[in-house]
Amino acid sequence: MRAKIATLAALVMLAATGCGLSGEDSGGDVDVSGEVTGKVSLQTWALKPKHTKYVEKLIDGFEDKYPGTKVKWLDQPGDGYSEKVLNQAANDELPDVVNLPPEFALPLADKELLLDVADTDDKLKKDYLSGAIDAYRFPGVKGAYGYPWYLNTDVNYWNADLMKKYGLDPDKPPTSFEDLVAQAKTMKKKSDGKMFLMSRKPSWEDLTNAGVEILSSDGEKFTFNTDAAAELLDGYRDAYADGLLPDDVLTDAYLGNSELFKQKKVAWSTGGGNFINDVKVDNPKLAKDIVPSKALDTPPLYVQGLSVSKKSDNLPTAVALARWVTNADNQADFAERVPGIFPSTTASADDESFSESDGSGAGDAKKLAFESLAEAELLKPVVVDDAINDVFNQQISLAVSGETSSKQALDKAAEECTKLLND
Amino acid sequence: MRRQRWFTPWLLIAPAVVWLLVFNLWPSINTVVLAFTDAKPLGGGQFTGLANAERMLDDEQLSYALINCIVYLLVCLPLLTLLPLLIAVLAEKNLPGITFFRTAFYTPVIASAVVVALIWNWLLDDRGAINGIAQQLSLLQKPLPFLTDRWLLLLSAISLTVWKGLGYYMIIYLSALGNVRRELHEAAAIDGAGAVRRFVSVTIPGVRNTMLLVTVLITVSAMRIFSELYVLAGPTGGPGGRDMSMVMLIQLYSRGFTGNLGYASALSVLLFLITIGPMLLLLRFNRRTAES
Repeated sequence: MRAKIATLAALVMLAATGCGLSGEDSGGDVDVSGEVTGKVSLQTWALKPKHTKYVEKLIDGFEDKYPGTKVKWLDQPGDGYSEKVLNQAANDELPDVVNLPPEFALPLADKELLLDVADTDDKLKKDYLSGAIDAYRFPGVKGAYGYPWYLNTDVNYWNADLMKKYGLDPDKPPTSFEDLVAQAKTMKKKSDGKMFLMSRKPSWEDLTNAGVEILSSDGEKFTFNTDAAAELLDGYRDAYADGLLPDDVLTDAYLGNSELFKQKKVAWSTGGGNFINDVKVDNPKLAKDIVPSKALDTPPLYVQGLSVSKKSDNLPTAVALARWVTNADNQADFAERVPGIFPSTTASADDESFSESDGSGAGDAKKLAFESLAEAELLKPVVVDDAINDVFNQQISLAVSGETSSKQALDKAAEECTKLLND
Repeated sequence: MRRQRWFTPWLLIAPAVVWLLVFNLWPSINTVVLAFTDAKPLGGGQFTGLANAERMLDDEQLSYALINCIVYLLVCLPLLTLLPLLIAVLAEKNLPGITFFRTAFYTPVIASAVVVALIWNWLLDDRGAINGIAQQLSLLQKPLPFLTDRWLLLLSAISLTVWKGLGYYMIIYLSALGNVRRELHEAAAIDGAGAVRRFVSVTIPGVRNTMLLVTVLITVSAMRIFSELYVLAGPTGGPGGRDMSMVMLIQLYSRGFTGNLGYASALSVLLFLITIGPMLLLLRFNRRTAES
């Protein structure tokens, strides 16, 4: 009897818990036409308290333009956002309009939880930059799943004071990996091994820049274990063996090279166009010593966008709100408030105010970042999730530390990452 | 005297029982169920039989994690069973300045993980205090890779655990030492027993049950170690992920939109089976002690 009850209980559990979200097809065509009115929710990511006034102004503008609408604004903290969105999706509580970077949007689009805006919006291509729209197109999933909001890229930042101190010219920063290694050697020698110029191990972006095909064309297999990738890793391994990189880069126990840079442990960092303004808050003295320069290779493209929940009870209003927040005027206004981020609208592409510098380091960085956007690309495949990224980093660290050969580490990383991809 | 109604005790324990059912028993049973599926945060959940168990046999990361936890256990167990007892014996005495030492030993227990990470990284970094001093004194030619070498990193994390654990277990022993009758010590002293002999023959038997409890606590903690390795080795468990612990591995597989909840649950069940052993042993021992 007891066994029967246990079996029954287990079956009930299985039925109750094992099914999860089935990602059922909610039908083919979605009608987003209709009157823009009623309640709608907007979720942003870590905009409070810094940008509270801006968002409130946006919402007021929307409610004035569409009388009868009421926007409920939710802002989630920076940490744990993916878990928050995941819980919302799993519990059918996704807000009507939600700020999602492409890597968050992919799994939700895959489960048909997001609106295909390419299908429902005829003016999408006309109003937004094609590269930004493409960031929300995913392999194996038809359509585009977000209105591009703002763009960013990376530029290089050098600590001019440390460079001068250790025999380098901050006006002639490295422009290639080879140059970086050469100048790092000078810094090591002059500082008696106490200061580093190089500040990170190779990343997905570095492999892409080295011409390595990261994923197979069908998107089902990682193919980065090539000779070109091994050669790149060998370069980093030799640099590490020569003492040109700090140990921190191997453990991932730090927040990235920007953190090492802020602590003056390294003299080089990469960062967005607004990096100097961020440093001003933490370390105003250091901010004055920072000199920006263009990324060493093809700059990475970072996109933020607003996706619309396919299950929204008020699709016409949700689409209108996403459109409103991402329109040219509102984006330009936001970019003006946050120097270093840029609009994703075609109307702002030629806006000269972004390509002008006031002569300060922060102004130069903003100008450089804007110019870099023209050639920026998505360098990291959108299918790379946390687990894949961790496995990749584990093997890269092993190769850089010299404990295994670069090819061996890449083979293992590709094999394990492919397993996780097809899990 | 009024007779109490039959349901009164049930009513009193109902909140705790409901709490346990909702937040403890239900998730536990759910984890066991999920261990036999391919569940994902957004779907999946098909029954896959023993596929997850088979996968464990081929999982190199799991073997690293198990070895790390066993090494952790073998090193931490003797250190954290005996050292806090010795410190507790010392802290019990009313020596001049003992309050400072009691506070100093307990401070690491309440220190936040972030502060601990900063302190230990500052100590063990290739440009940290330990390497710096050793190189200044010409004891080392080049820095020791405390945070990147597999075994040194594990040893560093163990040191951190011992440092944090001393004060915690010291408090447990202090309460046990209060129950060791002073007359026994006096009688042994009159019989000519020295301090060491009294410690071995009076103190240790007096706190034997507490030592056993501490042993079990350390065993379970060693198998579930997370924060110390996480702050020193980072989320990836150091180069090659060779300093992962079981809990870090579970976290790796269960994170994000595409987390493999089925496999992570199977790992959780394995961890539960490993840690339940010492608990059962303690239960059995306590029962025997009560019977005798």
